[in-house]
Amino acid sequence: MPEIIKKKILVVDDEKDVREFLSAALVEAGFDVILAEDGNIALEEVKKQIPDLISLDLVMPKKSGAKLHRELSKHKEWSKIPIIIVTGHARDDLGKSDLKELTMSGPGVYLEKPVKPNNYIAAIKKILNMATTDEEKETAETVHLQSDLKNIIDNADPETLKKLKEMINKTK
Amino acid sequence: MFQQIPYNVAVIDRDYNIVEANSNFKDYFGSWQNRKCYTVYKKLNEPCENCPTKEVFKKGNPVVADAVGIDQHGRKTHYVAHVLPIKIKKGGKVEYAMEMTRTVTETDRWQQEYQILFDRVPCYITVIGEDYRIVRANEAFRENFGDVLGQHCYKVYKRRNTKCPNCPAEKTFKDGKVHQSSQQGIAKNGQKIHYAVSTSALMRGSDSVAHVIEISNDVTAMKRLEEKVIDAERLGAVGQTVAGLAHSIKNILMGLEGGKYIVSLGLNKNDKGMINQGWEMLERNFDKTTSLVKDFLSFSKGRLPELEMVNPGDLVLEIVDLYKDIAAQSGIELKSVTEKNVKSAPLDPAGIHTCLTNLVSNAIDACLMSKQKGTEVLITVSESRDKLIFEVKDNGSGIDYEIKKKIFTTFFTTKGGGGTGLGLLTTRKIVQEHGGKILVISQKGKGAKFRMEFPRKRLMALYKEAKV
Repeated sequence: MPEIIKKKILVVDDEKDVREFLSAALVEAGFDVILAEDGNIALEEVKKQIPDLISLDLVMPKKSGAKLHRELSKHKEWSKIPIIIVTGHARDDLGKSDLKELTMSGPGVYLEKPVKPNNYIAAIKKILNMATTDEEKETAETVHLQSDLKNIIDNADPETLKKLKEMINKTK
Repeated sequence: MFQQIPYNVAVIDRDYNIVEANSNFKDYFGSWQNRKCYTVYKKLNEPCENCPTKEVFKKGNPVVADAVGIDQHGRKTHYVAHVLPIKIKKGGKVEYAMEMTRTVTETDRWQQEYQILFDRVPCYITVIGEDYRIVRANEAFRENFGDVLGQHCYKVYKRRNTKCPNCPAEKTFKDGKVHQSSQQGIAKNGQKIHYAVSTSALMRGSDSVAHVIEISNDVTAMKRLEEKVIDAERLGAVGQTVAGLAHSIKNILMGLEGGKYIVSLGLNKNDKGMINQGWEMLERNFDKTTSLVKDFLSFSKGRLPELEMVNPGDLVLEIVDLYKDIAAQSGIELKSVTEKNVKSAPLDPAGIHTCLTNLVSNAIDACLMSKQKGTEVLITVSESRDKLIFEVKDNGSGIDYEIKKKIFTTFFTTKGGGGTGLGLLTTRKIVQEHGGKILVISQKGKGAKFRMEFPRKRLMALYKEAKV
């Protein structure tokens, strides 16, 4: 029987508890996990072995998530690594502009902290085309839709927002 | 010579007839020939009551009297009359009286104007004697402090029983110069008032001060506005902090979510290790919640510093004692230098302790994050241009430009799980409460210097206000 090669996920977050939590969820879902507490250590890990996906926090000391992404983008191999952003700064001054940059030019999917483990895993599996059960597929779809909608709403002008609101109200 | 006298002069006989008068008299009171003095001076038909001329005829002595008459144009006139007896024969009776009158109408008008100015000008004016008793007070002062003539100024202004320390009036009595200061007093309704006072000397001759005039401007409204602005800034910072608070709360929620998840996994798998791991995560994040709430409540409260005279160098030594072992364990040298010219200052010891703790703790963390060897943290205390200065300098990782922009204005920490993010905001708040300011000088990779400046005048003013 061929050995199942587990997908490697690099989890980058400066909060120890967040790293432990996401790692536990990923291991439980059958992934191998590498942990990094800042962008510099993450880069070192990528140099050692290219992960299948990077779970990336935005605001970190030494090297932020956005700065890491810029460095990865310059490298032919590394620029192809899929990324999911997990951040608590989606709507504040510290993370808003970085998130906009990343969602416009790079990874479009982000999750706002606090995340539910099944949403997190479902989103990752979708990116890696790994979703198996119907429930997982639906969860991943919902997470991605929510992420897409949030992007649209954040970038929409007032006229578009009005129309969106009217559309949603009509469906109720 | 009679005509040259610069007063109105008339000679009057015992029947009150004006027998002679100079040209000034005629110009002022009009024609006098064959007329009685009381007719010419006052347009009366009979002698005046309390007539000074009558007094001179009676007693033979000169008399000076104030009087009110009517000039040749029918206008009321105030004058001072000097009446002298004239005897024809030595030892004989007084045959005539020479009345010299000096009009004081102009002076009287000036006095009235002065009185209006004194009473109606919108500031407090008092005249104080050498015994610090109030001899005159204007209307504004009397309205605010009550009827106060004869009372000690310190009793009236501040309800004290002894002279105020650093009294500007005392300085003026000593050197005759103008002195100014800010003071806090108590109005008659018991309310505290703030005023800016200026004291000037009223000289006796050329070398001693007879009285001091105190002119005070009520700046209570401006002071309240100043406090409101500070409060508004603090609440603005609190508002920004609330926005940034969401970040810390989100991480705590992640920790709680994670702890719950791992405990749950551990229970399902009967894995004690996982259960413990998850439980510890829950405990950590419950503690973080407590710290966050406490720090934030403390930050959001406006508070006056509790000032006392302290040696700034001693405060720094306490911090060095607190952190030197922690620093040494990580290979970081922690030292302090207090310059010789640093004097005691009125500071809130607990507040300054918090500021230094925050800055030194940040500096040590920056050294830990740095890759270079030989990192150190230096605390200095110095004086410059009448300011007391504390500096905390490190040669650690330095502060990124983007972060430096936000460092005092955003609820922010780069310390991962440690720190609630309020340290620098709290430090800034305490420094501002002392009337000072805090600056950061840093470049990424080149260490950082935090500098707290406390103008001494401002510290003393706050100290005096607190003492009242």
